[in-house]
Amino acid sequence: MRTNHLRSVAVLGIAAAIAAPALVACGSSGSTSDAGGPVTLTYVNWDGGMQAVVDQWNKENPNIQVKLSKPSGTGYTLYNKLITNNQAGTNPDITEVEYQALPALISNKVVVPIDQYVGDISSQFDKSSLAQVQFEGHTYGVPQNICPMVFFYRKDVFDQLGLKAPTTWAEYAADAAAIHSHDPKQYIGNFSAVDSGWFAGLAQQAGANWWTATGTTWHVAINDPATTKVADYWSNLIQQGLVSPEPNWSPQWNTDMNNGTLVGWTSAQWAPNQLPSIAKDTAGKWVAAPLPAWNAGDQTVGIWGGETEAVTTNSKHPAEAAKFVKWMNSSPEGVKILIQQVDVFPASLANQTQDALKTPPPFMSNQPDYNTLMTQEAKNVRTFQIWGPDANVTFDSYSNAFASALQNKTALSGALTQIQDATVSDMKQHGFSVSG
Amino acid sequence: MSTVGDRPIASPVRPVSGGVARPARPARRVRRRRRSMLPLFLLTPAVVLFGLFTIAPGIYSVWLSFRKTQVGGGLLGDLNPTEIFAGFQNYRDAFADPEFRHSIERMLTVAVIGVPATIVLATTLALCLDAKRARLVGIARLGIFLPYAVPGVVASLLWGFIYLPATSPIGGASFDYLGSRAVFFSVANVAVWGVLGFNMVVIYTSLRGLPRDLFEAAELDGAGELQIALRVKLPMLAPTLTLVTVFSLIGALQLFNEPTTLKPIANAITSTWVPLMRVYADAFVNNNIYQGAATSFLLIVMTVAATVIANAVVRGISRRSTR
Repeated sequence: MRTNHLRSVAVLGIAAAIAAPALVACGSSGSTSDAGGPVTLTYVNWDGGMQAVVDQWNKENPNIQVKLSKPSGTGYTLYNKLITNNQAGTNPDITEVEYQALPALISNKVVVPIDQYVGDISSQFDKSSLAQVQFEGHTYGVPQNICPMVFFYRKDVFDQLGLKAPTTWAEYAADAAAIHSHDPKQYIGNFSAVDSGWFAGLAQQAGANWWTATGTTWHVAINDPATTKVADYWSNLIQQGLVSPEPNWSPQWNTDMNNGTLVGWTSAQWAPNQLPSIAKDTAGKWVAAPLPAWNAGDQTVGIWGGETEAVTTNSKHPAEAAKFVKWMNSSPEGVKILIQQVDVFPASLANQTQDALKTPPPFMSNQPDYNTLMTQEAKNVRTFQIWGPDANVTFDSYSNAFASALQNKTALSGALTQIQDATVSDMKQHGFSVSG
Repeated sequence: MSTVGDRPIASPVRPVSGGVARPARPARRVRRRRRSMLPLFLLTPAVVLFGLFTIAPGIYSVWLSFRKTQVGGGLLGDLNPTEIFAGFQNYRDAFADPEFRHSIERMLTVAVIGVPATIVLATTLALCLDAKRARLVGIARLGIFLPYAVPGVVASLLWGFIYLPATSPIGGASFDYLGSRAVFFSVANVAVWGVLGFNMVVIYTSLRGLPRDLFEAAELDGAGELQIALRVKLPMLAPTLTLVTVFSLIGALQLFNEPTTLKPIANAITSTWVPLMRVYADAFVNNNIYQGAATSFLLIVMTVAATVIANAVVRGISRRSTR
């Protein structure tokens, strides 16, 4: 065993030795060119359709050429790679960052403030979007999109049962019972243990603030009363067997979404971009409605997802990189392509009235006012005051604790305590000052 | 951690080094200086690569396991983060975390199911192929070996579809293959399916190497195929079987691909389900390479201990069988 092992290590080593210069070349290509001459920036983003945005920019800016590449993995696979490569100095100039991961990248000095290049952007975005990219008086990115949570449901099935989209969580529970009792194989939705951001969004709606900061002291409250209320609500539905405990994004889930086993999905603005690959046979049957409220009439919703572009510490041309970021996420031209090609709902306020938003995403062609709903929901968004610098630990702990709770049929509120403990102990271990 | 990508349960088996005859010493007439330079020169590339890509990273990761990051000033700690000496804190954390012990228990559970299944099935199939009445041996052997050529990740995806209710052709709708208990068997099954063929080939090759006249003698004495297989062939396979078993056990310590691939579809599998997954989660999910280094060093110590014990057992058995 050892011999084979060594051999493979050696082969890998040689491969790495050969590949390394090539990789380094990719990572910083153009970055060494003389000031004044044309600059080539590298940019990682995993969203489909992004090439169109980059192409448009390159056409207009012959002196600042952007090279788009897809990362080998999305989400934390990418962020952890950025943190590791940061020390080697091989990061791309610009990277996509989901809001919840930005503090961790700042904490590890992977990204740099861009205030001096983009100026004051405060008037162009609302407070909740700015809170995602501004920390301690510095701006680290230009927000790209807002992803308010909304409830998607199969209108055909709801109509058949004489149900309307639930407006409160109590109605959601009643509908869940009605649907399941009519056909025991059918569910109004599933509770996914793999999507921490989804549950965080539900907690935001209920008034949770997982992290707050006073001065430089953190306060962590993942098992606060608001979040516990959300956990207990879902625990109850799961115990009654009214929602399916299956995780999202699995072949099982795709099948269930496609064949009408699942007739609702508490999701977010970007869902129509994903649905074609999840449930392709159901196009035209889904309708988006505001997320059910805790108290009738309360329009508050949380967010699930959303991203900004950030400029890395490794970049030798932060000014040019920031210029591209600002153009892409706040100029009418850049945002228009984002709307049309990437199904984005822009965070930039001025661009929320663009004509491009008058047409719904292709999958929602049956709901012409889809983006009108998004415009309205975007105003009702409530987020955490700040994402913690170790949201990655929180998110991993969420999937473990919630998956175990679902598997062992224990209360979800117990899982919250585990997440809280894991988060606090990690922050303390790294030397953050944490109270509670 | 280069071991991460390895296949679990059975690792490729190599002959026991003690069995190889040592080359005779060079004759005294050969001049000394000639003798000394060439082997060194030939060894250099291997030694350099070994040093660069195994020893050096190994030492570095041991070094890392005694370190940790300390955030600097400011809310996000980004003013001047530093790497500091952590003493045995990472090791203490690993031991203090009940999840680490549980991950080892889960790994052993899969091993206890998977290793005997692999050995019994591989031996049975090898004996069947070696039987006089066996037909289409070449095709059958290839068929049984084929799953070994399927990468572990692909195999796990494939089995994932077979287990999930919506896509299951084997009754996943009425039986939860990914339930709290069943998941151990389901994971072991994927691993066994993957390595069965390899172990079968090893045992079969060893069978073919046994003296045929013994079987003929047994046949003349009136023994049937089954009796020959159980009473003559099986005892003579003992050294091979021991070897295959211990290496399968060591391979089981490296369980990673199957549960990692099945994790997104099974609530029963967490990101710290087995020790290697925990190392991965520490280093690349929680971004704490220091903790990951400590845990992997502990795992290496365990593997080395298992190897030493295994080698002792193998040596003991082969010594007994040669007597």
